[in-house]
Amino acid sequence: MTGTRKGYLSGLAASAAEVMDSPVRRAKALRYLLIHIVVITAAGICVYPLLRILSISMRPGDRLFSTDLSLIPDGATLAAYASLLKDTMFLRWLWNSLIITLATSFIGVSLASTAAYAFSRFRFPGKKAGLILLLSSQMIPAGMLILPLFLMIMKLKLMNTYLGMIIAYSVSSLPFSIWILKGYYDTIPRSLEEAALVDGTSQVGAFWRIILPLSTPALSIAFLFNFTTAWNEYLVARVVLFSSKQYTWTLGLFELQGQYITQWGMFAAGSMLVTIPVLAVFLYSSKWLISGLTLGSVKG
Amino acid sequence: MELLRSVYEVAGFILLIALGVAALEGYFYYHFKFHDRPWFFWAGLAVFPLLVWSGFVAGGIAKPGLFAWLFAIEAVVLAFFRYAVKGRHSLAYLLLLPAFVGLALLLVYPFLFEVYLSFHDLKLTTIMMWKNTGKIPFVGLEQYVKVFTTSPLSEVTFWALLGRTLLWTFSNVFFHVLGGFALALLLNNAISLKGVYRTLLVIPWAMPQVVAVLAMRGEFHSQNGFVNIILGRIAEAYPLLAGLGVGPVQWLSDYPLLTCTIINVWLGIPFMMVVILGGLQSISTSYYDAADIDGASYFQKLRYITLPLVKPVLMPAVTLGTVWTFNNINVIYLVTGQAGGTEQADILVSALYKAAFTYNRYSYSAAFAIVVFALLFFISVTYLHGFDAAKDER
Repeated sequence: MTGTRKGYLSGLAASAAEVMDSPVRRAKALRYLLIHIVVITAAGICVYPLLRILSISMRPGDRLFSTDLSLIPDGATLAAYASLLKDTMFLRWLWNSLIITLATSFIGVSLASTAAYAFSRFRFPGKKAGLILLLSSQMIPAGMLILPLFLMIMKLKLMNTYLGMIIAYSVSSLPFSIWILKGYYDTIPRSLEEAALVDGTSQVGAFWRIILPLSTPALSIAFLFNFTTAWNEYLVARVVLFSSKQYTWTLGLFELQGQYITQWGMFAAGSMLVTIPVLAVFLYSSKWLISGLTLGSVKG
Repeated sequence: MELLRSVYEVAGFILLIALGVAALEGYFYYHFKFHDRPWFFWAGLAVFPLLVWSGFVAGGIAKPGLFAWLFAIEAVVLAFFRYAVKGRHSLAYLLLLPAFVGLALLLVYPFLFEVYLSFHDLKLTTIMMWKNTGKIPFVGLEQYVKVFTTSPLSEVTFWALLGRTLLWTFSNVFFHVLGGFALALLLNNAISLKGVYRTLLVIPWAMPQVVAVLAMRGEFHSQNGFVNIILGRIAEAYPLLAGLGVGPVQWLSDYPLLTCTIINVWLGIPFMMVVILGGLQSISTSYYDAADIDGASYFQKLRYITLPLVKPVLMPAVTLGTVWTFNNINVIYLVTGQAGGTEQADILVSALYKAAFTYNRYSYSAAFAIVVFALLFFISVTYLHGFDAAKDER
């Protein structure tokens, strides 16, 4: 990165001298300048709301509703963060989300890993029907299943519990996870397992000792996908959880922003605290995430 | 103490899952090693339901009826493995079993339950009866008739919602692809700081959606939102523009659908950009070199090289994006879903959600959902059919 940046800067300096004598080069430099301007504008639009939240979260209480647009407000303070952690149940909400999300992802990935193995390595009656069922299940609008799930959870007396949430979430990413993992298993040569079978392990042993360890990248993608889906979920949580002690952070933030406009600063602080780790994980893993998405589709 | 109890509750569930896996492990053993030992069948019948049941007890839900159910299920499963699956496919079915049981219970069953609901009358006044006795009055097709004749909310009709949904889906996907394509083309140049730009540009996608939408809703607030502040300043600085009507706007109450669309376009462009950029980067430069030698213009290259070669990546993304946008409750509900929120921005799926959970019209909403599903299914099948036909022509 530094290399290209250096090259770019020196290129700019050099171009100042050279541009004059070459219309082609001048047109090219102009074009690149335009590209940079457009892309920087777009990036600004993408990032600005986040910066605004940051700025609002640092405003002192009496200036929450100023029409000030500066990024670091006058008299910047972390008071909103302090009162968020002290006066609301924000940490509790995060904890709730974490438990529900981890349990969901764990279940989702373990179910998907074995099912994908069956789809990848075995021929059996009903295989094609199963794959079609998986794909067509993606056509059912997610919003449509919230109502029956809600009624089921109510009937099971699991309203307002973690277990109810985990049950509601656990299969939502399953078809997609199976699809990704199947695509990945397909790329692992069969000869590895055959060697293990010759050495005397069972098919299950080969799966457990060879395929699973080799599939760590795909498993982490599936885990990450399950995790983000459940972590950011709002609509199911809205109807299953009703006491603020059991809220996930999405419900908590909605309440902070919605009910009392005076809590705007705390909403902003909470948003920052939630967003930064998610952003970090996403940006760190986005390369694998995207390659994983294409991998699943190409090999499908 | 509270935290401790929550840990217990989940630990119980985890234990349950672990036991389920252990039971599965047991089946493997049964299949591979204990094949001929009859005691295993009876031992399994006695032990597994007890173990799973104790998992439920640890999770804080102990019902006597549950044990009977577990016992019956276990008996069926064991008998299934003992007598039905002895062939060479048994392992594959065993591996698939947990996932498909999960899907059957939490995807297929709810779907069928929704169909059942749509022919009955479950609403706020009958729900207690259903809770206690499990019975709901049967009303036949009444709910379906109501879907087309009465409003799911207070005023808006099904047909208005349908039109709005199509408009919403089309305009969103159009701008997603347009914006994503433009940014991807720009980023595909050999510009410096490309990685930095890409990182910044995916931020709307990477942020938790709830935060992104709520923050954007704040930016459209009539007094404190960024958009109106800027509009106000422009109107102040250039009275001429103010005379033309530029100035602060009541976004959330006067133009809720437009506001939602702007927010969703902002949210959706990065995904398209990343997908299209991936497609662009896989195109070999030799095509462009050859075209340069032939003297092709920029737009000719775009039309005859870039577009056809990006199409295999673009089409699935557009299909996916269309279904996502059609089904997008999140943005609209988060912007307009509060008490006193408008219904001027609702599309089919968000009206469905509100009918069920704001107005508590469960059966109505179920019938509505079936109609929406049929519609989506019809559109997808037609679309895929057209897609295949287009493929055959080539």
